[in-house]
Amino acid sequence: MEPTSTEILVLGAGPGGYTAAFYAADKGKKVTLVEQNPRLGGVCMNVGCIPSKALLHATAVMRESKESSKRGIEFGALNLNLDKLRAWKESIVEKLGQGIKTLAQHRHVEVVHGRGHFEDSQTLRVETDAGQKFIRYEKAIIAVGSKPAMPNAFDLGNKRVMTSTEALELPDVPQDILVVGGGYIGMELGTVYAALGSRVVVLEALPSILTGVDPDLVRPVSRVAQKAFKEIRLNTKVLKMATAGKQIKVITEVNKEQREELYDRVLVSVGRVPNLADLGLENTKVTKDDKGFIQCNAQQQTEDPNIYAVGDVNGGTLLAHRAFKEAKVAVEAMLGEASAFENVVIPAVVFTDPEVAWCGLTETEAKQKNIGVKIARFPWGASGRALTLDRPDGLTKLVIEPETERILGVGIVGVGAGELISEGVLAVEMGATARDIADSVHPHPTLSETLMEAAESFYGTATHTLTRRDV
Amino acid sequence: MDVKLPQLAEGVESGTVVSILVAEGEEVKKDQPIMELETQKAVGSIPAPSSGIVTKIYVKQGMDVAVGQALIALESSGAASAKPAQAPAATETPPVKPSVPPTKTQAATTAAGVENYHYESKSGAPPPAPPSVRKIARDLGIDLTRIKGSEAGGRINLGDVRDYIQRLQQIAFHGTAPAARPALADAPTPSEAIDFAKWGPIRREKMSPLRRTVGRRMVESWTTIPKINQFADADVTALLALRKKRAAAYEKKGAHLTFTSFLLLVLGRALKKHPRANSSMDESAHEIVYKDYCHIGVAVDTEGGLIVPTLRDVDRKNLFELSQELHALTEKTRQRKISLEELQGGTFTISNQGSIGGSHFTPIIYAPQVAILGVGQGQAKPVAIDGKIAIRTIVPLCLAYDHRVLDGADAVRFLKDVIAGLEAFDEADLKLK
Repeated sequence: MEPTSTEILVLGAGPGGYTAAFYAADKGKKVTLVEQNPRLGGVCMNVGCIPSKALLHATAVMRESKESSKRGIEFGALNLNLDKLRAWKESIVEKLGQGIKTLAQHRHVEVVHGRGHFEDSQTLRVETDAGQKFIRYEKAIIAVGSKPAMPNAFDLGNKRVMTSTEALELPDVPQDILVVGGGYIGMELGTVYAALGSRVVVLEALPSILTGVDPDLVRPVSRVAQKAFKEIRLNTKVLKMATAGKQIKVITEVNKEQREELYDRVLVSVGRVPNLADLGLENTKVTKDDKGFIQCNAQQQTEDPNIYAVGDVNGGTLLAHRAFKEAKVAVEAMLGEASAFENVVIPAVVFTDPEVAWCGLTETEAKQKNIGVKIARFPWGASGRALTLDRPDGLTKLVIEPETERILGVGIVGVGAGELISEGVLAVEMGATARDIADSVHPHPTLSETLMEAAESFYGTATHTLTRRDV
Repeated sequence: MDVKLPQLAEGVESGTVVSILVAEGEEVKKDQPIMELETQKAVGSIPAPSSGIVTKIYVKQGMDVAVGQALIALESSGAASAKPAQAPAATETPPVKPSVPPTKTQAATTAAGVENYHYESKSGAPPPAPPSVRKIARDLGIDLTRIKGSEAGGRINLGDVRDYIQRLQQIAFHGTAPAARPALADAPTPSEAIDFAKWGPIRREKMSPLRRTVGRRMVESWTTIPKINQFADADVTALLALRKKRAAAYEKKGAHLTFTSFLLLVLGRALKKHPRANSSMDESAHEIVYKDYCHIGVAVDTEGGLIVPTLRDVDRKNLFELSQELHALTEKTRQRKISLEELQGGTFTISNQGSIGGSHFTPIIYAPQVAILGVGQGQAKPVAIDGKIAIRTIVPLCLAYDHRVLDGADAVRFLKDVIAGLEAFDEADLKLK
């Protein structure tokens, strides 16, 4: 079959892929976008960020309505229609997927549905419904993303053992659900199922949930989760899982003590692996690191000069917004522009209750690397807005370089932290000082004031809190 | 004491040493020229600030020097330790260091500052700069760790990057980084280097600062001014007859009566009547600036290239004064003794190629002026007068003007008045007082 040709080929239509395809098309390139799923949007849109946030919003409303009774508002018995909830979530995903498709059409990006396989450094074979198709390209961008890891020991071939993908399908509301892995995915989905009415047990092999996040930012999340969940069991290993009728038998070990329990469903959230199997990378010069992720330089270029890689396939923090940025860098580099993914501040948000968000240098990292920083904190108990929201369980803190007063990092825990962190990103990217933030008027009463007051507390002059002047 | 290069004129920051007029050990008097310096605008001499003995000469012929740079060491005459008058054998000069006293704009901008500054953060963070500035630095291949930010917390802004690049240029062009002043924009962006030697032997000569300035000004004018060239002829038969009649009398009184002197007188009056031709445009304010004075620049061909000195208050002077001053000014220019002040402030320019035989040509406007008159050589030509052919002396003229300020009709009316002034020159204006 005669190969078709294109200037830029993008493999994978997730956040990294469609951003790269659209940006290249906007810059006048002929672009072909290859996606194996019928719906564009990748993990983020279909089985990640978007559906999980839809469910978290819905379940937050349920939780709020329950908690309203102490503020004198009673709703009576809550009625959950799971089918309707699922359909609503599905409608959002469908709408966004259509949106991406329309945007691709308007940019004249050719979309080919099928599984891609590299034949050589400049040819991709695509297995489409209509048979094989060969595409010759000048440059390619690999953006095939990642999928939830499923260790062999847990892979029973039983639908009751789920990954995040299946859990987001919302098959039912199990009475007892075990979440293996207390990372952000496990904690977010645990929050959803707990609100829906499941008894949730979270197992974490390490001494803390949300490992890597500053302990003072994790604490409020733990506190809420300990109430909402049946149990959070730390330093625990799963030794074995087995099908036991309509349940799953799980043997765990904590403090060298074995326990055997039955769960209706198990959610395995122990990390993600890149989708690099059967991609034909061996026919190119692309190399992988010891964890199986693609190696590339600051221009997102792999060892194969014709092939670039963006997003989860490169490892590191697996976040859609990192992929967005990498996609732009890759396209600019391909077009010969001076571009590099260097010193880019990538914020992280955990959509637990309450949310945790941070950017730049964290306090934990500063300690590990022995970097002398000053931390300016503002507890939300002193925020009028937090009290009116009945959520004083929050904290805003700034990581500051003492000599220059420059903001190196920002960490926030509390409701809406994910929205608040953007000011922190701007501050770090702009090289702002604590004075810059302290002197910028923030509207009252809002949670954003906590950033200003944290900055003021660095100077010992925060209005709504007392700062020890031991500096 | 070290004699340093003084501020020469507005915007002139450096120059090239053309010649050194003193030797080490030589005694000099106050105001005696010690060296000649060619700047973008002219060649000028640097006077000794006081009397004394030259103990050291720091610069060499052909060297670029910047304002504030030490030129020579001078010991006052009265000093006991007057060095023997023998010049040291070594003509090698010590490394020249700009010893500019730090001022507001010059702080921390020494050559060392550029070469040695390196940003270091205890936290290991990259230099603080907003993303927009980082992008520009990346595009230009500038290492931000080399730049000292001027904002809070050492944040680097666009101005800091610009200053840094300009200092790098100074180093590249002059070998030193004298000051954080705006770099002197040079001639047009150089095109790709061509190896002319491929086709035969060649010789290369450094363009003088003057040549480069002329080049830059011309490109600026050519690329920024929408200009029109208006051609015309003037019958100067009668005027030349008058000149012949009166030249000797003028000569006796020490004035050289040239065609340009006539032209100056006529232009002074025409510009008075047509003030727009004597104006400038203030683009930022969207205003036309009318000048109540009339200073006409006269292009002078010198050995070193084109120089345009300015004759002041042309409209207030009579033909005798104009003739005298024009002669003095051109002589001074040819000898390259013209001061920078005498090159500035022109409101209109005459480029007269008549003496070297030029015909019609299209002169380039000398911005921010709005018009220039190009004058060719007068030639005997057959002309129809009252239906009969007569032989007359015709001078080809071309008025080039900025169409943003002057419209065609304005220009033609102005040019008509100039021609009428030349063709019907009033003998009364020739009278010597």
